[in-house]
Amino acid sequence: MSSEKSTTLFIEHFQPECRFLHYYLKEMEGYQGLKKAFGMSPSEVIEEVKSSQLRGRGGAGFPTGMKWGFIPKQSSVPKYLVCNADESEPGTFKDRDLMRYTPHLLLEGMLIGAYAIGARSGYIYIRGEYAREAVLLQEAIEEAYAARYLGSNIQGSGFDFELTVHRGAGAYICGEETALLNSLEGKRGEPRVKPPFPAQAGAFGGPTIVNNVETLACVPFILRRGGPWFAQLGKLEKSGGTRLFCLSGHVKKPGLYELPAAGVTLRELIYTYGGGILNDRKLKAVIPGGSSAPVLTAEEIDVVLDVEPLMKIGSMLGSAGVVVVSEDYCVVKLIQRIAKFYAHESCGQCTPCREGCRWMEEVLERIEHGKGRTQDLNLLLQIADNIQGKTLCALGDAAAGPVASFVKKFQSDFEAHIRGGKCPN
Amino acid sequence: MKQDKKLLSQKFYDAMKKLEPRYPKKVALLLPALHEAQQERGWLPPEILDEIASYLEIHPAQVREVASFYTMYDLEPVGKYHFKFCTNIACALRGADALLEHCQKKWGIVCGETTSDQRFTLREEECLGACGTAPALMMNQQYYEGLDIAKLDALLESLE
Amino acid sequence: MPQLTVDGRLVEFKLGEKVIEVAKRAGVFIPYFCYHPGLSVVAQCRMCAVEIEKMPKLQTACSTLAAEGMVVHTRSEKALQNQKSVMEFLLINHPLDCPICDKSGECDLQDFSYDYGDPYSRYTEERRTYIDVDMGSVIQKNMNRCIHCTRCIRFGEEIAGIREMVALQRGNQTEITTIEGKPLETQYAGNYADICPTGSLGLKDFRFKKRVWMLKKTPTICEGCSRGCNMEIHQDSQVIYRCVPRENLEVNRYWLCDEGRFHFRSYQKDRVLFPYFKGKAVDWSLALESCRNILRGKKLLVLVGSDLTQEEITLVQEVLALDHAGSLLFHFGTPGMSSVSEDGDADGILKRKSKTSNLHGLEHLGIRGWDGLGAQAEALLVVRAGRAQWGKLPSLPSVGLGVFQESEAKQLDVILPGLNFTEKDGSVMNFQGKLQFFRRAIAPQGQSKGLAELFMMLRRDKASEVGVAS
Repeated sequence: MSSEKSTTLFIEHFQPECRFLHYYLKEMEGYQGLKKAFGMSPSEVIEEVKSSQLRGRGGAGFPTGMKWGFIPKQSSVPKYLVCNADESEPGTFKDRDLMRYTPHLLLEGMLIGAYAIGARSGYIYIRGEYAREAVLLQEAIEEAYAARYLGSNIQGSGFDFELTVHRGAGAYICGEETALLNSLEGKRGEPRVKPPFPAQAGAFGGPTIVNNVETLACVPFILRRGGPWFAQLGKLEKSGGTRLFCLSGHVKKPGLYELPAAGVTLRELIYTYGGGILNDRKLKAVIPGGSSAPVLTAEEIDVVLDVEPLMKIGSMLGSAGVVVVSEDYCVVKLIQRIAKFYAHESCGQCTPCREGCRWMEEVLERIEHGKGRTQDLNLLLQIADNIQGKTLCALGDAAAGPVASFVKKFQSDFEAHIRGGKCPN
Repeated sequence: MKQDKKLLSQKFYDAMKKLEPRYPKKVALLLPALHEAQQERGWLPPEILDEIASYLEIHPAQVREVASFYTMYDLEPVGKYHFKFCTNIACALRGADALLEHCQKKWGIVCGETTSDQRFTLREEECLGACGTAPALMMNQQYYEGLDIAKLDALLESLE
Repeated sequence: MPQLTVDGRLVEFKLGEKVIEVAKRAGVFIPYFCYHPGLSVVAQCRMCAVEIEKMPKLQTACSTLAAEGMVVHTRSEKALQNQKSVMEFLLINHPLDCPICDKSGECDLQDFSYDYGDPYSRYTEERRTYIDVDMGSVIQKNMNRCIHCTRCIRFGEEIAGIREMVALQRGNQTEITTIEGKPLETQYAGNYADICPTGSLGLKDFRFKKRVWMLKKTPTICEGCSRGCNMEIHQDSQVIYRCVPRENLEVNRYWLCDEGRFHFRSYQKDRVLFPYFKGKAVDWSLALESCRNILRGKKLLVLVGSDLTQEEITLVQEVLALDHAGSLLFHFGTPGMSSVSEDGDADGILKRKSKTSNLHGLEHLGIRGWDGLGAQAEALLVVRAGRAQWGKLPSLPSVGLGVFQESEAKQLDVILPGLNFTEKDGSVMNFQGKLQFFRRAIAPQGQSKGLAELFMMLRRDKASEVGVAS
C-alpha cells in the first residue's frame, strides 16, 4: 500500500479556525447528517450505522451499530448518551484534536446517536486535564443551542436533547465505561460489576450508551453518505471508515495520521508516514495500541494495524496509539515506567490488580536499579498470569499483558540488568 | 455539619445553580463543585470540603473519599505555579526526565514538593494526551508542548 | 424448577439466585471475603471465582446469576490456582499479627489461607503500612491488617444509613477510614467488627481479653427492646466476654445494635448479689422474715417488669392467686409506655420504642401496664429481671425480687437477688408475636436465685427447712 492520497474525513479541518459553527455549516456539510436522520426512524438510523462497519475507536473495537441496538426501545427511566472523552491511554492524542478543532462533528454525532437510541440527555465526560478543550467544547455547545441544534424541538423536528460537559479530575480508570458512569454520578471512579451492562442500567440507573469521541465523530459522515460508503473506506470487511493513528516516540514525524481503517501496516506508518526512526537509529520495539498493548519487536512490524490482525499476533490495536522505541532507550526502564502507571491508576477495588500491579512495579524497579534476581523474571510472568483474566475490569489485563510481553521478548535485556547489577544503558 | 458562614463565593453558588437542573441527582455536582471551589481557592482545605458536603446534603466523609480519589484535586496547599511534568512513555522517550531533573536542580526541591517561597510546586504526571508534541507539561491548567531545556527556561523566565 | 450442576451435584434454584448461594445449598462451600448475604455484591476480592463451562474466564460466584443447565466447577485446576493467587496477593502486605491479633481463631483470612493458599510467601519487597486512626469507643482499627473487602463501607451505607466509613486515596494506597479520626457516629458500630474478615476492625471492649477458642457459646435473645434480636453469649469460666448476633432473617437479619450488644456489661458491676434489707446486705433468714412481714395478709400492688419471661410471669400469677388474691398486678418497663399500642419502630433499623423484650408477651398473658395508680394498696411487690425501668414508686412498704443495681437498693425495703437473662432459661415474645426461647449461659452470680426458688423460700417459715445458708 503506497502513500496515495486517500479519503480523509477529519484531518484537513484540524486548524484553530475550523471549530466554529459557521465553518462547520459552510465547509463540512454541518448537521446534514442529522437532518437526514430526522427523516428516518431510529431503527433505520441504527441499521445504517451497522452497515457502516464502524467499530468503537476507544480501544475495545466493538461494532457501534450493534451496541446501539442493545438499548431497549421502551424504558420507564430516562436513557442517556454519554461521550467518553477521557482519553488517557498513554500514546493517544486523537480525541483532543477532534474536540478542539471539529467539536461540532462530535455534537452532531451525539445528536444522531441520541435520536437513534431515544435519549433526551447526554454528557461529554472529558478528562480534567483537557481544561482548554472543555472550554472550546462548551463554546461549540453554546453555538449549537443558539442555532437550535440543541435544546428542545431541534430544528423543528420535535426531538429534544440536552448536552452537558462534565469534567473528570485525573483518573485513567474513568476511561472504563462503568467507572466513567460512577464518576459522572459524583462517586469514586470505580468500575462496576457487569451485569448489569450500561445498556440495561447505566447513568443514574437508566439505559445508557457510552461511545468514544472519534466513534461519534464518524457518525455524521455515515448518515450523510450512507453506511456502505463508509464501510468501503476501510480495507478489511469488519472495519469501516478511516482511523486517526497516533504516532509518537522515536520517529522523525510524530503526530496524527488519518488513514483507511486496516489500510496501513505498522512498518508503513513508521517509515512511510512517520519518516523513519529519529536520528536514523535502529528500531528496538513498538507499542502498537497505547501502553495497554503488548509490545512488538522490530521483526513484527509487518502486521496490518487493525483489531484482528494485531490480536492474532498477541497484541492489540486498542486506541491506535503507536509508540516507537529505538535502541536509544532502555526497554527495562520503559516497562518499569509503564508498570508504575498502572499501579498508580489502579482503583484498588479488586485484589489481583491492587496488590499485583504494585508488586510488578516494585520488582521492575529493583531490576532497573540493578538489584534484580534471576527468579524475578519468572516471578513477573507468574504475577502477570495471576492477574490476567481474573480482575473486575480490564485495567489488570492492561498492566499484566505488557509486562509479560516485555519480559518474554526482551529477556536478554533483563538478564543483562540482573547479571550486571545495573542498567547497562 | 451545618455551616452558618459561607466561605465560597456567590459566583460558586451561581455556577452550581446553573448546573443543578442538568443532572437528575444533586450529588452528581460533586466533581464540578470541587473543580469550581479549587479554581476559587487554589486548593481544597477541609472547611471547603465540609461546605460542599453541606451544600450537596451528603456526609463530609463522602466528599473526602471522592476528592482523594482524583489526582487533580489538591488537598494540600500548592505553589503559585503548579508544574506537572508528564513522564509517561512518549514524553520519557523524548527527554522528559531531563526536563524534570532540570527543574528539581533549579528550584532545589524534589517531585511532590513546593519551593519555600511558595512559588513552584513540582509533580510528575501521567500521559497528558500531547504525545505527538512530546515532551509536554501542564502548568495551572495550561499545556506547554514540544519542550526542550531552552524552551523550558524561556517559560520559567516569563513567569512573574 | 430450574437446575444447575455444581461439582457434579444437581441442585434446583430460584431465578435471581447467585451461584454462590445455590452452591452452598448443594453443600459446596466457595470461599469469599467481600461477599456477605446481608450486603450488596461487589465481586472485588475475586476469591469466589469458579470455572463455568462455556465461559472462557473464571466467574465470581457471588455475582453470577444461576442459569438453567449451568455446569460449575469450584475445584478445577484454574479455580484452585486463582484461590492460591488471591491468597498470595492478600498476604503480601498483611502483617504476621496472628499471635497478638484478637481475630485469630475466627479469622477468614487465616482459615482460607490454611485451606486454599500456599504455605509460603515469595514477597520480598517492603510492606505497605498505615498510621491508624482512632474511631471512637467501640471500634479499634488496624489498617495494616485490612484486605480492602469494603464490607464495612457497605454496611455503613446500606444498613447503618451513614456513609462515615470511606475509602481514601486509590490503588494500593487505599485507606479505609473515618474522616480525620472522628468517632463513629452509628449506634451499630459493633457490627463492623463482626463483618470484618480480618482483625482490622475489632471491638475495643473485647481487645486482648480472651482467645476465641476458649469461649463457650450459648444462643440467647437480647433483652434490650421488643425486637428480641437473636444473639449469642460468649463466656469462659462463667464470665461473659462478648455478645455477637445470630442470624435470623425475620427478626434482626445479621445485626445487633450496640446497646443490646454491650448490655451484658451492665450486670457486671454494682449489682445486688445478696439479700438486702434497707440498702444493706443481710442474711437470708432476716431478709425472708422481713419480706413475710411486709407482704403477708396485705393488699398488694404487684409491679412486674416486662423484662420477665413468660414462665416467670405465669409463676407470679399462680402464686398471687394462691396467696394474695385481690392483688393489683401491672407491668412496667419503659417510662411513658404503658401498652403495646405505644410500641413502635424507633430508628428505622432495629431498635424499638419498648426498652424491654417481653412487653408483648406480658400483654398476651393479659397483664396491663401500670398507670401510676394503686396507692390504696398496703404493700408493694416489684419483680424484675434487670432491664425494666420504673418512673416513681409509691411510698409503701416494699419488696423486690430479681435483679437490682446498688443505686436502686434504697428504694425498696427488702431485696431478694434474682436471675438476669444470662443466668436462666426462658421465653419472650417479640413485637411480631414470635415466641423466642433462650438458654442459660452462665451460673447465677453471687447468691442470686431463680424466681421459683425465691417464692418457695418465702412460703416456708423457717430458713433451716430449706437448707439455706444464713
